[in-house]
Amino acid sequence: MGKVKIKKKETRIDMTAMSDVTVLLLTFFMLTSTFLQKEPVTVITPPSVSEEKVPDSNLLSILVSPEGKVFLEVLGSKDSTMKSETVRADLLKNMVAEYKKTHPSANLAFTNKEMETFSKLNAFGVPITKMKEWLNLEPDLRDKFLESEQNPGIPINMNEDPNNPNEFQMWVRAAYNSMNPELQESMVKGRGIAIKADQTTPYSVVNVVMDNLQTMKMNKFTLMTALKTSED
Amino acid sequence: MAIKSKSRQKKFDTRIDFTPMVDMNMLLITFFMLCTTMIKSQTLQIALPTNEKVEKEQQNKVKQSEAVTIIIDGKIDEKTGLSNPEDGMLYYYEGMPETDRLAQGESNMEQVEFGDKDGLYPAIRGILMKKNEEVVKRIADLKKEWKEMKFSKDEEKNDSIYQEKAKAIRNDSTLKRPVVIIKATPNASYAHVVSVLDEMQINNISRYQIDRINDVDSAMMIMVKAKNEKK
Repeated sequence: MGKVKIKKKETRIDMTAMSDVTVLLLTFFMLTSTFLQKEPVTVITPPSVSEEKVPDSNLLSILVSPEGKVFLEVLGSKDSTMKSETVRADLLKNMVAEYKKTHPSANLAFTNKEMETFSKLNAFGVPITKMKEWLNLEPDLRDKFLESEQNPGIPINMNEDPNNPNEFQMWVRAAYNSMNPELQESMVKGRGIAIKADQTTPYSVVNVVMDNLQTMKMNKFTLMTALKTSED
Repeated sequence: MAIKSKSRQKKFDTRIDFTPMVDMNMLLITFFMLCTTMIKSQTLQIALPTNEKVEKEQQNKVKQSEAVTIIIDGKIDEKTGLSNPEDGMLYYYEGMPETDRLAQGESNMEQVEFGDKDGLYPAIRGILMKKNEEVVKRIADLKKEWKEMKFSKDEEKNDSIYQEKAKAIRNDSTLKRPVVIIKATPNASYAHVVSVLDEMQINNISRYQIDRINDVDSAMMIMVKAKNEKK
């Protein structure tokens, strides 16, 4: 009988191919990813059949929490000519000027450092009188305060007098007048203003924001929705 | 001993163990996968009338037979203060509100269930579709041609020609088209408002506006509600 040769089997598996695949996947994710921006309130937007995408540049989005608190997010242009940071710093400057029109005695002076902190923030929403204090907080305390219940958000009320704007209207005006002409243009067209609200938010809350925009003659804007596949 | 080691030169394994590398890569992939937003939100573009004066003039211009007023109502949870997106009711009337029979408990307002959970709104969709029949039919015909690639062999060109033609049909003033006025009570949820706006897109209605609810509307609504509850 022939000799039975028992082959010694190698127990190690060659991981090279596996490594290749993972590196490829990793590269893909690194290149395509845009990081999830932290938002002060999590909202689930209502579904809609609209297929238009949210622009990722030159956008002023208004985040409305179910309780009616308002937060703002500002994005600059895509290329480096008008970065979000530049636009935001300019926005704060405009806001101070805008606020002083109706409150001439207000003591609002931001240092360069505070400006820089503000320009790096994705979302904001505190009364302007508290802004200085808020900007000087530690980053995690800042986020906490923004989410906390004692933060009233950006002050807003039913106001139909364009000559006596509330703080929300001042911010929108400040964004409109910022040195970024592209943002202004997209705001006029209605692509540049987006309202983001949770689907359970009562209409009365969203209506306040819409009314405020309407008072400012910015009657074109978009509502952020999630995609719903249509049955067709 | 010395001789042995000389003859048995140690063979180095040229293969490197990739397992830790793969481990690390997997970890990184998981991180990126969790932190990215692949799906971008969609937007729904709306335009509100500039101010109330213009609004009233426009409303008067609207032919009675063309106008449909939809009122969205919802229910607010007392505990949370939020409006439940699954608990809604629609009211609608065609033309002007008929207030002369209001004292007798009658009006031209109808109550419609909002719809099932999948976001299908059969009742109101049927009504709107009927109102916009001429446009819907033409768009359906157009869609058929688009699916058969009749406009152009090139897919992109085919799309753009279709979009253009569809837009022309939607805004064709020779056709009978409704004007929809959307009103919402403070209790209605945002989701309801968006889904009614969605119906405008689905039914190819080009003329619609969001308006504020007035006393006549709410009076009629309360009456219809009471009447339906009796049943």
